[in-house]
Amino acid sequence: MHDSDWQQTGRQAGAGAGDREVERAWPRWQRLVAIASMAVLVTACGIAGQSPQPDATGSTDDPGMGTASPTETVVSSPTSGAGETAAPTDPAAATATAGATEAPTSGPSASPDGQLSFANWPLYIDIDEETGGYSTLEKFQEETGIAVTYAEDINDNSEFFGQLQPDLAAGNPTGYDLIVMSDWMIERMGRLGYLQELDHGQLPNFSANAEDLFRNPWYDPDNRYSVPWQAGLVGIAYNPTLTGRPITTFDDLLDPAFAGRVGLFSEMIDTMSLTLLSLGVEPANATQEDAERARDKLLEPAQQGQFRNFYGNDYYDALAAGDLAISMAWSGDISQMKLYDNADIEFIVPESGGLMFVDNMAIPSTSEHPVDAHMMMDFWYDVDNATTLTEYIGYFSPVRGVPDRVREDAQTARDEGDEEWADQLEVIADTAFPSEEQLSNIFPYKILNEEEERVWNQLFNEVITD
Amino acid sequence: MPRRLRWLTPYLFLLPGGLWLLAFFVVPMIVMASVSLQEGSLGAGYTLTWNFPIYGEVLNSWATQIIRSLWYALIVTLLTLLIGYPIAYTIAFRGGRAKNILLLLVILPFFTAFIIRTLSWKLILADNGFLFGSLKELGLLEPAFRVLATPVAVISGLTYNFLPFMVLPLYVALEKIDPHLIEAGNDLYASRLQTFLRVTLPLSMPGVFAGSLLVFIPAIGDFVNAAILGSRDTTMIGNVIQRLFIQNTAYPEAAALGFVLMAAVLVLVAVYARWVGAEALTRG
Repeated sequence: MHDSDWQQTGRQAGAGAGDREVERAWPRWQRLVAIASMAVLVTACGIAGQSPQPDATGSTDDPGMGTASPTETVVSSPTSGAGETAAPTDPAAATATAGATEAPTSGPSASPDGQLSFANWPLYIDIDEETGGYSTLEKFQEETGIAVTYAEDINDNSEFFGQLQPDLAAGNPTGYDLIVMSDWMIERMGRLGYLQELDHGQLPNFSANAEDLFRNPWYDPDNRYSVPWQAGLVGIAYNPTLTGRPITTFDDLLDPAFAGRVGLFSEMIDTMSLTLLSLGVEPANATQEDAERARDKLLEPAQQGQFRNFYGNDYYDALAAGDLAISMAWSGDISQMKLYDNADIEFIVPESGGLMFVDNMAIPSTSEHPVDAHMMMDFWYDVDNATTLTEYIGYFSPVRGVPDRVREDAQTARDEGDEEWADQLEVIADTAFPSEEQLSNIFPYKILNEEEERVWNQLFNEVITD
Repeated sequence: MPRRLRWLTPYLFLLPGGLWLLAFFVVPMIVMASVSLQEGSLGAGYTLTWNFPIYGEVLNSWATQIIRSLWYALIVTLLTLLIGYPIAYTIAFRGGRAKNILLLLVILPFFTAFIIRTLSWKLILADNGFLFGSLKELGLLEPAFRVLATPVAVISGLTYNFLPFMVLPLYVALEKIDPHLIEAGNDLYASRLQTFLRVTLPLSMPGVFAGSLLVFIPAIGDFVNAAILGSRDTTMIGNVIQRLFIQNTAYPEAAALGFVLMAAVLVLVAVYARWVGAEALTRG
């Protein structure tokens, strides 16, 4: 039986195969059994690897309130035979590891390791145009001896989260010790146990110098996991030459006169929240019905080609180059654009209301150099360093006293005859810090639980893909 | 090796390749299939609920994008064939001593990264860049004209990126054709065109088949070109899967969509292979 099986295979294989000396080959049924049992074995390991675990840090309807610390997780380790875990491994295992990497409790006397890997968004730190060096990071190294590896690896919150999530869930180092994530993502990562708790004993500058507006924020009560990096406003930027008229409302984005030259953000929470405001709904109070109305408002214009594209950070290039006449924008980007790339662009907060985003420094749960990370965090809350940073990147600094310092520096520059630098500083002083009027028209985001996030994502998908 | 263990030999030879396939193909496929049948979320964890209806849902939601990707990939394959065949033919039959240099020129773009090549297309096709900007200034194009963020840009980018994948297999197949056969065709009173159609073309079919597969299959799943050169209206299935996986962390849906795409491609390839004919493919 075995011989004939092989010869049949040999004939099918082509000329000459039948001449080979007959070796034993498994009959068909045996091969099928082998493959099937292997598949079952692997799938069984996959299933065993993710038995559902209770969410460690409180129910998903009550995120960010920190009802239970990550260390109180009850975890039963995956009982897989071959130790295999499928791609979305359960987060409870991660929180167990995260709990193990709680805030370093050794206080200010803990010694740093001398190295730090810092991931940030582009255009978010001062760069020396000629040498490509970072003067603030070099100053930090001189003061503390810690060598910082700076990587502008973050372009989108969700993308970066997707990049880190597998490692964080498995308890592996991500390669980053300090990251900068937006407010809603901090809330999510904190809730999932992917961030280390901060030891505020190691952050004296933060305690002394942070503006009240940024303490105990809605997305991270008591600054448990993060301290603000920079803030900014989400509003609308436009090119008066291309639009031909001043822009004041959200509905101007939907004006058919600008068809094909309008940009919106690909980040769901930003675009949806701004649209909700234009419908007269405060995002924090929005219901699913409101979200559907927001979807309806955007869907028809999108289908008719109103929006050139949905952008992440790359809206900057399109706006500066003139591909876009009007776009959703972040205020600090426009400050920089006015200084370096295109002085015509104007930034406004729409009449119906804008949003304030806060980007925050946080330490991933698997970071290996938490003490160095704390020292870096505290470095940025020194008024001198914060002023240097703001003077370069033009965002809203969370440190008290920076606006006045910028104006002082502008005056000094003017006195010394450096007109260009003085002008630049005055532009920053005017545009980087929201006026009282703007701040009164700013609304917070809604904290979405997972079900709501799924639904809102689905609604937004309809708008963003054809 | 003792005689009674001789039967092990072929399997031992297959072992390295087999293990590689097992680890990097079979196991991921099974894991992905398992993921696609799960339900849950990042916070609450995932459970295997054998959620087969998800395939129906996914087909329903994203049918437009799937069809659009198939359509684009088909056009790209035809375009690369039309452009690549003359190139390969010229190099194979008229190349002479310059053959190697010409082949190098074909592969040269590959020395740059895929993304950078696509980004450079974005620069070239920029609305007011050096190409269209100057044409607009000369008044040959109206100011509102643009190529970026249209299907034309995406298909052009795809064609450019995948052209070498078509040229090289075609070249190999054409290279192997015995020139005496072509001579024989001429001797038998066939015109140049007839010789091409009845001798060269059929003999180059293995190359055409290989090239088409090498272009069609990656082009279907491509998302870089659509992301950089396209717009909302040119969303391809690769963009959808990327968005579902990374932005929405909807892993089961993304995995199911991946399988649907794979199934669609397998079916098409099987039909194509049948149509071309197994004989033509295995002919040396």
